[in-house]
Order: sequence, then C-alpha cells, then structure tokens
Amino acid sequence: MTHFRTTREGIEVTLSPEERMFLGDVLPLLAGIGARGSDPAADRLNVPVYLDDPDANEEWWRLMGQDLESARRADRAIFKKSVSSDGPVILDDEEADAMLRVLNEARLALGARFGIDVEADHDELPEDSRQVIDYLGWIQEELTIELMRSL
Amino acid sequence: MPTQTSPVIVPDTDERLDVDKPWQVVVWNDPVNTMTYVVYVFRKLFGYDETKATELMLQVHHEGRAIVSDGPREQAEIDCFRLHNHGLWATVEQ
Repeated sequence: MTHFRTTREGIEVTLSPEERMFLGDVLPLLAGIGARGSDPAADRLNVPVYLDDPDANEEWWRLMGQDLESARRADRAIFKKSVSSDGPVILDDEEADAMLRVLNEARLALGARFGIDVEADHDELPEDSRQVIDYLGWIQEELTIELMRSL
Repeated sequence: MPTQTSPVIVPDTDERLDVDKPWQVVVWNDPVNTMTYVVYVFRKLFGYDETKATELMLQVHHEGRAIVSDGPREQAEIDCFRLHNHGLWATVEQ
C-alpha cells in the first residue's frame, strides 16, 4: 500500500500505528541534535555557506541561522500533527512539504551520525541502522513522488 | 564663477568587476539525499522543468557539484537558505 494519496482536499496520509510510533521517534532525534562542532548531525544540517570566507559565513549564520531554526521547528510541529492522528490525515501542499523536509532532515542527521561519507557506506551499515534509514527513505520517496505530481 | 575641479575617482578595476560579477549558488553531492528528492527541490524552488532539474541533479551526482542559480549576492544567499532548509548542501561563491 502507499502511504500518500492526492485527494480533492489535499494529500491523504495513512500510517499504521507502528509506523506512527516509529515516525514519532524522529522528533526527539531531531530535538536532541547538539551544537555545530560537537555533533555530526548538526554539522551536516548546518553546512557552511561560504567555503573560503569564514567571516562571511559567520555573518550569514548570524543573520539567517535563527530563521533556519524557526523554519525547521515549524516543520517539525506539522510533522508531529501528521504522525499523531489515529486516522488518515489530510495535508495541504505546504504541510506535505514540511513533512517531506523533516523526513529528509532525519535521514541526513542519521546518515551523519552513522558515518555515511560516501554512498557505499550505506551498504556497510549494521542491519538495524540500515533498516531505519531505508524505511525513512522509502516513506520520503513515496511522498516526493506524490508531491511531484502537483508541480 | 570659479570653476571647481572635482577630483577624479578612478574606480579600482578589479573591484568594479567583482561588483558586477554574479554570485553563484552551488549544490554539492551528498551520499544521503536521493535523486528524486533533489530533482523535486530544484523544480519546486527554481521552477525548472523536469529535464533541466534532472540534468542539474545528474551533474551534481557525477561531477560532485553544479551551479543551480546565480544573481545578486542577496538573492544567492536567499536561494542558499531555501536549499539548506530543504537539506541540500549548498554554498555561495563569486
């Protein structure tokens, strides 16, 4: 079965109780991301904007960093709503986009913590780690394809 | 009326060129972001059609990086922000 279906009202999300529980665990994972320089997940999600100009980079973070954090927090609130309801949930395109960004953010965070530096590293992961990242990737792929239909 | 001669300011040629030169937004290859997702983000953020978005994604994948947009510095920074918000690894350069 597919988890996402475009309806007249929006994108309908259908998740089993187990999936909702599993996806709900993404939120504490993301909330627990540490500071840049101390957590590979934070470093991956906050990459430098200017590679050769640390001052310009810090200035960019000073101006835009808070906005980026706020945007991510808003996305996570929508994601929480999407995975908390017992029945199917209807999301508009913006909400579905927010869910997509959170799924991707979780994969990036996990990928960084699992030490995926090149694509081949994925195949060397312990089975449980690989299953987690693959499941998120599967859900994300379904949602991406569904959202692509409305572009 | 005395004629006042204003000092002639000769602009530094290199600096003037830098001001005119567009800033570029570069997306870098990443082992976790999927091809489908990257195409979707390029289409959504920049309005590229599927062909153009796929070409850029493949360039990132095979060459390690691709310039996805260019323009004034402020616009490049905004584009970079939007790409970071979608989890893509983007930088700004001139």
